Amino acid sequence: MPQVATGGNPKGAQTSSPGRRWRPARAWHPKVPGVPGATSGRRGVKIASGIPWIMPALVLCVGLVYYCIGYTGLISTWSWDGISPNPEHVGAGNYSAIVHDPLFWGAVWHTLIFFAVTFTIQTFLGLLFAVLLHSKVKLAGIYKVVIFTPVVLAPAIMAPVFREMFSPTGQLNSVLHAIGLGVLEQPWIGQTSTALPAIMAITIWEFTGFTFVLYYAALSQIDNAIIEAARLDGAGNLRVITRIVWPNVAGTTFALATLGLIGALKTFDIPWLVTSAGPDYATNFLGTYIYQQIIQLDHVGYGAALSVILLVIAVIFGVVLQLWRNRRADH
Amino acid sequence: MFEVRSRWKKVVLQVVLTLLVLPYLFPLVVMVQGSLAGAGVSNFRAVVDVPGFWRFFVNSGIIAASVIAIVYVVAMLASYGFAKLRIFGREVYFWILLACLTLPEVVLLAPLFTTDQKLNLYNTYWSVLLPLAALQVPFAVLLTRNFINGLPDELFEAFRVDGAGTVRTFRNLVVPLTRPIAAAVIIFSLIGAWNDYLMPLVFLQSPNMQTITLVPQFFVGEFNNDQTKILASALITAIPEIVAYLGLQRLFERGLTAGAVK
Repeated sequence: MPQVATGGNPKGAQTSSPGRRWRPARAWHPKVPGVPGATSGRRGVKIASGIPWIMPALVLCVGLVYYCIGYTGLISTWSWDGISPNPEHVGAGNYSAIVHDPLFWGAVWHTLIFFAVTFTIQTFLGLLFAVLLHSKVKLAGIYKVVIFTPVVLAPAIMAPVFREMFSPTGQLNSVLHAIGLGVLEQPWIGQTSTALPAIMAITIWEFTGFTFVLYYAALSQIDNAIIEAARLDGAGNLRVITRIVWPNVAGTTFALATLGLIGALKTFDIPWLVTSAGPDYATNFLGTYIYQQIIQLDHVGYGAALSVILLVIAVIFGVVLQLWRNRRADH
Repeated sequence: MFEVRSRWKKVVLQVVLTLLVLPYLFPLVVMVQGSLAGAGVSNFRAVVDVPGFWRFFVNSGIIAASVIAIVYVVAMLASYGFAKLRIFGREVYFWILLACLTLPEVVLLAPLFTTDQKLNLYNTYWSVLLPLAALQVPFAVLLTRNFINGLPDELFEAFRVDGAGTVRTFRNLVVPLTRPIAAAVIIFSLIGAWNDYLMPLVFLQSPNMQTITLVPQFFVGEFNNDQTKILASALITAIPEIVAYLGLQRLFERGLTAGAVK
């Protein structure tokens, strides 16, 4: 119990000026056991309204974000180049065009497959690193730094490095050649078949550190006694991981899945800077498609409609995340 | 976790780990090696000598510092209100904020673009830092509210009973006690603002306003696609981030993951 609640030596009591003593005396010992009505002190002083305190946040977020969402919704019913003073109102025209737009469906498909692949591999590698670094290995600190550093580096700054690395004459092909895998050499980001996997690889490079740190923290929470007991029963390493570790980190895995899904929907920097959403739209995502439509092609109305669709998908996943978080908090 | 008894197996474990980590090191090696190719160290000199090169860092610094300040102040005030004060319909307001959490910033492009031009905000710091702050605040509020919720009510009651108003309670109780979570808020705001690419790309047009994430593109034009100089510029812009991370390792790891672990 916190010291103030015992009524023994509340900090406030010592510093209060005599002029303020008129406040209900019993509030000094609000929780003395056995005293009837001991908790009524809570009602002695009215709690102030919090509205002024949350106002700045509401003004900033509602004023900016909700204003923008509303405006996007409005623009999405126009056929507009972003400049002309009299946009043509097309109602749901943009939306029905999107439904028949193969590039939109391509972007959705890329997002889904991108999420499925990056999430699976990151989960596997992140957990593997967490387990390995929880074992007795040397230089664990250095491995940790190497895995986590990509998380803090800006994707925009690393993009030219990856363009270089994946180019036909780049370092990846040199290394493949050097280790005798020359047959695998190819123009990684220059052909449709390998461009998306290259984007996925960059993303995995970038976020495994995040997955790893979360799992690392989650593993520290597992009671070692359980693992010891399992070992005494003859469970090997693999069995300990599949039967004890994996179920115990389920919460973390779920959180990572949701964050990964929202992250996949937000994907922009890497495909835009490394492959320019190509070749032939092979690495087109909703983010890059919206940017293209609004900024490059001046199809502002169409881009706005795409934005609304992206927003709806993102909010659905966001609500799922929150419901899950709340449910988890209740346990 | 992994239990290995024999010395031989320990070596195998170490080798496997090293092989798995190498791909993570590889791009960083490519960056260093590429930046030293051709003209060697003078690549760096060429980059640094470009007039206005440091301007990118100043701009990123100004934007990141402003975003951090806004997010910190606004989120702290709001979380205190949400966690410990009386608000009718509290959860409604909270959900209004939280709904912004998942918003991809690209959704803001069209309306911000037109509004910024109307309000003459285009190509100013405001056009970048306001949306960045607005997108960071909900998550910061979520984190700090949870944290303040965990502080015992009795502390707040003692202050109230003592006659301390909300302002004094905030200053003398909330601010000092929330330092651990404030560090997390500051770190993720820093990373979010410093690493952001889309907002500066769209809203900052003149090179003397642009941020470090636009440096590679700037140098593609400046050096006629000379890869070694571009990689040198990438390395120089990455160094502050790596140094900051190595210096504040724990804070970074905790700050970036604070949202997902309870």
